Amino acid sequence: MVSVINTVDTSHEDMIHDAQMDYYGTRLATCSSDRSVKIFDVRNGGQILIADLRGHEGPVWQVAWAHPMYGNILASCSYDRKVIIWREENGTWEKSHEHAGHDSSVNSVCWAPHDYGLILACGSSDGAISLLTYTGEGQWEVKKINNAHTIGCNAVSWAPAVVPGSLIDHPSGQKPNYIKRFASGGCDNLIKLEEEDGQWKEEQKLEAHSDWVRDVAWAPSIGLPTSTIASCSQDGRVFIWTCDDASSNTWSPKLLHKFNDVVWHVSWSITANILAVSGGDNKVTLWKESVDGQWVCISDVNKGQGSVSASVTEGQQNEQ
Amino acid sequence: MKLKEVDRTAMQAWSPAQNHPIYLATGTSAQQLDATFSTNASLEIFELDLSDPSLDMKSCATFSSSHRYHKLIWGPYKMDSKGDVSGVLIAGGENGNIILYDPSKIIAGDKEVVIAQNDKHTGPVRALDVNIFQTNLVASGANESEIYIWDLNNFATPMTPGAKTQPPEDISCIAWNRQVQHILASASPSGRATVWDLRKNEPIIKVSDHSNRMHCSGLAWHPDVATQMVLASEDDRLPVIQMWDLRFASSPLRVLENHARGILAIAWSMADPELLLSCGKDAKILCSNPNTGEVLYELPTNTQWCFDIQWCPRNPAVLSAASFDGRISVYSIMGGSTDGLRQKQVDKLSSSFGNLDPFGTGQPLPPLQIPQQTAQHSIVLPLKKPPKWIRRPVGASFSFGGKLVTFENVRMPSHQGAEQQQQQHHVFISQVVTEKEFLSRSDQLQQAVQSQGFINYCQKKIDASQTEFEKNVWSFLKVNFEDDSRGKYLELLGYRKEDLGKKHIKEEKEESEFLPSSGGTFNISVSGDIDGLITQALLTGNFESAVDLCLHDNRMADAIILAIAGGQELLARTQKKYFAKSQSKITRLITAVVMKNWKEIVESCDLKNWREALAAVLTYAKPDEFSALCDLLGTRLENEGDSLLQTQACLCYICAGNVEKLVACWTKAQDGSHPLSLQDLIEKVVILRKAVQLTQAMDTSTVGVLLAAKMSQYANLLAAQGSIAAALAFLPDNTNQPNIMQLRDRLCRAQGEPVAGHESPKIPYEKQQLPKGRPGPVAGHHQMPRVQTQQYYPHVRIAPTVTTWSNKTPTALPSHPPAASPSDTQGENPPPPGFIMHGNVNPNAAGQLPTSPGHMHTQVPPYPQPQRPQNGWNDPPALNRVPKKKKMPENFMPPVPITSPIMNPLGDPQSQMLQQQPSAPVPLSSQSSFPQPHLPGGQPFHGVQQPLGQTGMPPSFSKPNIEGAPGAPIGNTFQHVQSLPTKKITKKPIPDEHLILKTTFEDLIQRCLSSATDPQTKRKLDDASKRLEFLYDKLREQTLSPTITSGLHNIARSIETRNYSEGLTMHTHIVSTSNFSETSAFMPVLKVVLTQANKLGV
Repeated sequence: MVSVINTVDTSHEDMIHDAQMDYYGTRLATCSSDRSVKIFDVRNGGQILIADLRGHEGPVWQVAWAHPMYGNILASCSYDRKVIIWREENGTWEKSHEHAGHDSSVNSVCWAPHDYGLILACGSSDGAISLLTYTGEGQWEVKKINNAHTIGCNAVSWAPAVVPGSLIDHPSGQKPNYIKRFASGGCDNLIKLEEEDGQWKEEQKLEAHSDWVRDVAWAPSIGLPTSTIASCSQDGRVFIWTCDDASSNTWSPKLLHKFNDVVWHVSWSITANILAVSGGDNKVTLWKESVDGQWVCISDVNKGQGSVSASVTEGQQNEQ
Repeated sequence: MKLKEVDRTAMQAWSPAQNHPIYLATGTSAQQLDATFSTNASLEIFELDLSDPSLDMKSCATFSSSHRYHKLIWGPYKMDSKGDVSGVLIAGGENGNIILYDPSKIIAGDKEVVIAQNDKHTGPVRALDVNIFQTNLVASGANESEIYIWDLNNFATPMTPGAKTQPPEDISCIAWNRQVQHILASASPSGRATVWDLRKNEPIIKVSDHSNRMHCSGLAWHPDVATQMVLASEDDRLPVIQMWDLRFASSPLRVLENHARGILAIAWSMADPELLLSCGKDAKILCSNPNTGEVLYELPTNTQWCFDIQWCPRNPAVLSAASFDGRISVYSIMGGSTDGLRQKQVDKLSSSFGNLDPFGTGQPLPPLQIPQQTAQHSIVLPLKKPPKWIRRPVGASFSFGGKLVTFENVRMPSHQGAEQQQQQHHVFISQVVTEKEFLSRSDQLQQAVQSQGFINYCQKKIDASQTEFEKNVWSFLKVNFEDDSRGKYLELLGYRKEDLGKKHIKEEKEESEFLPSSGGTFNISVSGDIDGLITQALLTGNFESAVDLCLHDNRMADAIILAIAGGQELLARTQKKYFAKSQSKITRLITAVVMKNWKEIVESCDLKNWREALAAVLTYAKPDEFSALCDLLGTRLENEGDSLLQTQACLCYICAGNVEKLVACWTKAQDGSHPLSLQDLIEKVVILRKAVQLTQAMDTSTVGVLLAAKMSQYANLLAAQGSIAAALAFLPDNTNQPNIMQLRDRLCRAQGEPVAGHESPKIPYEKQQLPKGRPGPVAGHHQMPRVQTQQYYPHVRIAPTVTTWSNKTPTALPSHPPAASPSDTQGENPPPPGFIMHGNVNPNAAGQLPTSPGHMHTQVPPYPQPQRPQNGWNDPPALNRVPKKKKMPENFMPPVPITSPIMNPLGDPQSQMLQQQPSAPVPLSSQSSFPQPHLPGGQPFHGVQQPLGQTGMPPSFSKPNIEGAPGAPIGNTFQHVQSLPTKKITKKPIPDEHLILKTTFEDLIQRCLSSATDPQTKRKLDDASKRLEFLYDKLREQTLSPTITSGLHNIARSIETRNYSEGLTMHTHIVSTSNFSETSAFMPVLKVVLTQANKLGV
């Protein structure tokens, strides 16, 4: 079942482009073409406007919450070519930093796993991806990957910090060597995996889409020795990319579905077993991998409501 | 920003939107001659490869043509969605010809690339357009008002849209409507535009501003609004774009006057109706919003005019422009910097040279700096307004707790002017539940735990089991909550005590019959043969020699009988010798049984016989070694390659109560990632933990790494289904594994309630004002506040008294005030001495049992324990402190050592199981620990007999305990005192007339004990003392037949007269005349006591 538990009237004056809950699922950040970013307290079905953040001079495309260990921090990116990092200090939200290092619309922001520190990846229509690293005392260090995606990067998504399989292999908590990695998708129809090895470099190029890659989402790690990325595109296709970390570095795509319209956004559930796909015609669908490895649509969500078909969820698990 | 360029003076056509990759076809322009004045013509196809950062475009094919072109279009005719290169290139030539080319053949390099050709037109064909609804329909326009509609399926005979317009004029533009498929518009340099309705086959409207200055160079329909179109004029005196609405055809709706000189071409974006490209003789390329007239973007171009401009149908941000300087340029309107391109070249260079001192000058090269002014130039700002195609209208994102945040923007009907409509901008937060079965099963489990209906729960599971194995597992688990678990385990393994008992009864009877008949006279031979030697040895009391002689003569039975008379040591030696000699199949089993070497069985049995091995362990093993032995067997099974055996290991671990190993074994055998299979595991684990808690008084709050991982995985799954509270309940509590603590914190906050007292340590992470440099892994997890919530993992140690108490209650003395029992008076801390004794003796238990509060604290994470909020503490009914209602394995004693196989028959295994004897460990401390050692020490079976009395124990018994912090034993003690009478009442007193039996027997045991010297004897006596409880119970119940009771009284009398042999005779008489099952529980012990008394002469 998908059932609405809270309907938040954002009072935005134009299109909403993103809505994200914080780490705990108690606060909602929204952003809009009306150039504002809003934060609501949505605990217990309520909706209290905590902040109405003004500072962007164009439509705001995305918002991203930093991990709470760094405090209450929200990043937003806009068509005005800027990234703004907002911070709550003593109950008040204020602009903490403004990054104006892009020459075109900044389309996507994504915080790195908290294990790496406070690092923000920003993808822009100028084709570049910039990485902002907080170095203390209000200072941010900027690294830029130029020409990551010709005529535009549309999405960035970090790999989880947990080396897949480490849950099983290193129960002692011995920290494996993390390699910072993220995926990006762009107008060159490509998904690229960038990796920091001294400096950032392109590690993989994933080709399957025949049109702009609209979004990429690296699945949260659930302790299995595979990495998974979902990608969606203007071409209506959604692919699930998997890579067996142990054996190879080869990513293989599996077509989840071909929609008739552009697919804008993909989002993994925290347990990485359900993928929410939002596409043109305002269609939101939920997908789940069946026991035999096929991706099956389990729900059509309309205005936050939907039923869940049980066919996939009930695998025969009773054999010993 | 310029992406690509090609040096050609040519007409251009992008491949259709369906086509991937994107191609650009160019055909030599008929109107412009290039610098060479060459009259050669060609048709070329280039690929747009954006992953190549260079400005070059990759040429895919060149076809030398005999024609030059006025117009080139690429239609998606007969193109399927996955076709690589397809569709049809339609070219308008100089001499009234229309030529159809097959682009795939051009790319393939074929010679025959022309599909069809028709030269019906007179004069150059300047206008061509493909109907977007029926891609087989192409409209063309030429001189003399000629307009033809071509059906590519029937190319030979074109149609006309109606009668030719008069006066005849050139057709410079033609365009199909974007919304209504039978509407076509044409325009001519005269400035007139005509709209045709193909269904009526006539022009329906003529559009003209009557200025005579509109020299139409461009015509385009509105992508969304059927009645709107734009006309562009190349007249320098009127360099405008007019927007017309056919509903108000008297004058233009809007006039865009952004160009200074005549406009040569326009293109309306199909992806965003607010973007109209125009290029003119002022050498500008502008992008304007035709709905407002605003210029959104001016492309940075050189000073050359462009005569053709096209949006790329597939990539909405890309356009191409053909200029008179012989170049086709591909641009992006998204702005951006060309620095990247340059930088790439620089990078290439420096990587070729290497950054460090390529020339060996001793100085590394300085970093290359791009001159500042180029950088300035290279930045191109994007469109003033964001194009529609990057405005995400919809989104759905998951967040913690299985919540889905969605928003959608209802598509605005774009009326003219497209003003903002009053729209509700709502965001929906929804709960996603996908695992209903998982949740309901989790719910059932929680209910079972809360209501403690474990047996019911297990039974339901057994009934619902679909496999034998599953059934077995649940049966094993269920047994944990039942009385006599070991016995029931045995039953489950296929060893029914009753059956065995019956067999034994038979044997016993035979022997009994045989015994009395052995009483005739006999000769004592002292001859020289072996019999004689033995006789001599016996007569001299030299048992050792006698035994040796018997052994020598292979008279095993005689040897052992004699050895029994000769004392323990001799017996032991004799047994050893016997085993050394004996070779029968079951010798090893017998050896193990007699030598109590269960390890031997478990370690070396054939794994096919694991059931038997487990049965043996269940029957004989002492509590301190029981778990270890089960474990050992489990481990062996697990390591065996046979997967069937591997799963059986689970059963051993269940017997052992080894949760961690069960998890490991189960995980190995199962794919645990599926919620239901995880549920399968968790159900078993939770139940087993409860069982272990109940039976072994073990502190189950310590959670192994693997279990913790599984439990937090489980909690994560529950949380993902929105069951935050349940997730919190299952999450292991006293672990300081960072991920679990983080999850707990996250769950608490996700519940929406501010966490009590969360003010100071706000988050389980050190608030980081990030240190410079590499921030390491999260520090400070240990500061996490311990959040108090429902949970099944007690932080609090199980109060030892609760468990031991019911065990130690001197049931034989109902009037005995409970306060007299040390264990009762002292409450939880310290545990009663008896408890300590067991704990010390049992190395396993010592590690697990809380022996002191100090020990307990070592388990608790090192942060200060916050004061619990008075009311915030609402545990479920404390499972951890439930009074024991069943026997305690740690008090379990193995059967009497079989020292006299004949006289002390095996008897009913059940009785053996039940009989609690103080065995080996006891003598170490029992005498000092128990001031009244004659009191029946452990009597767990009273609980067995009245299990209901215990379960029926008022909730007050357990509930207040929940709240008692470990440091507050008073509450518990109080409870014990209160509940004590309830318990006592259930025991009947021994009838007065029989009380003498008890006092006599106990007195005798005491006397024996005080004069016995070797520990083994003492142990036997202690054991006997306990076992006699069965007799007393039977006396209480008055279930013994009069013959037996009178016989017992006779024995008692003979004891009083210290005539033990007479007692023994009476004993034999009773045994031989009574029902075996009636007496088997105590008669053998009584015999032991009498024999000992006789031997000791007390």
